[in-house]
Amino acid sequence: MVEIDAGRQRRSDFLLRFRKSRNAVIGATLVALVVFVAIFAPLLVPHDYEHVDMFKVWAPPSAEHPFGNDALGRDILSRVLVGAQVSLLVAVAVLTITLTIGVTLGMCAAYFGGWTDTIIMRTVDIIFAFPELILAILVAAMMGPGLLTVIVSLSIVWWPGIARLTRALVLQLKNELYVSAAIACGSPPAKILIRHILPNIVAPLMVRASIGVGFIIMAEATLSFLGIGVQEPRPTWGGMIRDGLQTLRTDPYLVFYASLALAITIIGFNLLGDGLRDILDPRVRDR
Amino acid sequence: MTAAAILELEGLTKDFPVGRNRRLRAVDDVSLAIAPGETLGIVGESGCGKTTLGRLAVRLIAPSAGTIRFEGRDISTLDEAAMRPLRQAMQIIFQDPYSSLNPRLNVERIIAEPLENFGMKRREIGPRVAELLTTVGLPADAAGRYPHAFSGGQRQRISIARALALNPKLLVCDEAVSALDVSVQAQILNLLADLRAELGLSLLFISHNLAVVRYLCHRIAVMYLGRIVELADTAALFAAPQHHYTAALLKAVPEPDPRDRSTSPPVEGDLPSPIDPPPGCVFHTRCPRAEARCRTEPPVLAPARNGGLVRCHFPVGALP
Repeated sequence: MVEIDAGRQRRSDFLLRFRKSRNAVIGATLVALVVFVAIFAPLLVPHDYEHVDMFKVWAPPSAEHPFGNDALGRDILSRVLVGAQVSLLVAVAVLTITLTIGVTLGMCAAYFGGWTDTIIMRTVDIIFAFPELILAILVAAMMGPGLLTVIVSLSIVWWPGIARLTRALVLQLKNELYVSAAIACGSPPAKILIRHILPNIVAPLMVRASIGVGFIIMAEATLSFLGIGVQEPRPTWGGMIRDGLQTLRTDPYLVFYASLALAITIIGFNLLGDGLRDILDPRVRDR
Repeated sequence: MTAAAILELEGLTKDFPVGRNRRLRAVDDVSLAIAPGETLGIVGESGCGKTTLGRLAVRLIAPSAGTIRFEGRDISTLDEAAMRPLRQAMQIIFQDPYSSLNPRLNVERIIAEPLENFGMKRREIGPRVAELLTTVGLPADAAGRYPHAFSGGQRQRISIARALALNPKLLVCDEAVSALDVSVQAQILNLLADLRAELGLSLLFISHNLAVVRYLCHRIAVMYLGRIVELADTAALFAAPQHHYTAALLKAVPEPDPRDRSTSPPVEGDLPSPIDPPPGCVFHTRCPRAEARCRTEPPVLAPARNGGLVRCHFPVGALP
């Protein structure tokens, strides 16, 4: 039998399938573009995004300002570029928090069962009973607007989904013989969960996280649109859409470009998520 | 039952809930004892409760009733945490050599896991793993490879190495060779026989293959629908089976005789559902000797003429 390093083989296998999946490639390209813009926004902006110019209020696109100017004469292109920062920051923060909480609680619920399971999953059910955005708005309204509010409120509505998915995955894996073997050789629960179960649920969680980013960014934009999200002067796509809405008929550029940026980002993450699912889910693998 | 038994099962019963208010009795009132160094075989058809019995013996699952005593200590109600220190002395090998090894860990980490759990120092683990690999007949360079690089027989050797790592006193082999090719089966059986002699292991050897059980076991328990129907020394069981089910099983072993053209199956029909077992003797639906009494009155496990125990009103060879 030929000796192959399993880790390396799995990686190259992954890359091969990744390149063959059009969704994954397009999605990854769009996501990479957005991430690049968010990181290097300060260097990419043609103008200071906070610079107010009363002579250019609602100016249409020009050579100097390719996307035009907003109600205060600020450069829309610069504001759209900088707006990527808030969206991604919120997405990364919410994902980190919800994955940590959701995976931990989901694993415990599935592995220990009994009361642990009941308490965790009933909490999840209660949060699920509220429409996601309504709950986020409720929390945001109680905490007052701001970046932290957005992150906390979206984390509260987003972790139960992760917990539920994790629990379902772990319930399946729990019956694997190698888990029984680990119990039989005296491994404590923490070791079984971290060494034997966690590595096997990473792939489906990645898919879920990737598709989830689309939801999180959309929700962040919604909160900002409603005025309970991130506040001025920091530009957010949701806030820009709100600002441009009153003059949509006469000066559509602000809404148009902010929406475009939002759409590209969300489509990028959704395509990446779909692509990853095609690649990582063994059930749809060989199609 | 002697007090010196390493494992003693008494009235062991395991129910699984199936749907509302219904249960499947996988193991029904099983009593057994295994002496140190002894190999006890459990044989029976698929679905007769052998595997459940094996998992009960090492307390991977909890019994519904009855007691499990390990070295005289009742372990039937201990929780997972309380069981952990005892795991050092009892190990299990599973049927499927593919799913019993985590594909993401290399062989060294697989075999090292029980050693880590019982506090072996890091620098002692490497040499011990190498020693175990030699014991089970795998090359030393196997340590760095992953399970997928091995054949079924080699994987089963890895499982055995992991099970032996802690020098257990009792090893449960749950169909440990059934998934392997016949030639590989022989290798693994010889390995188990050698190890048993070398390490003084007690084995609970679960299999549906009579030839395999005969080769390895001192005593054999025959299971049918969760119950033990016959328990006897290997030689006595093969020479003079007392239960009609045992007799039928022995008859079903193919003879290497081309002139023997008899094709009728020794036992007719299917295994009855353990959710709804037949009244009286559970075997009466398929028994060639069944009478009215068998349909109503369940027989008890009683001493038999071959020196063992049999659960039958009209044992083989008895006068009508």
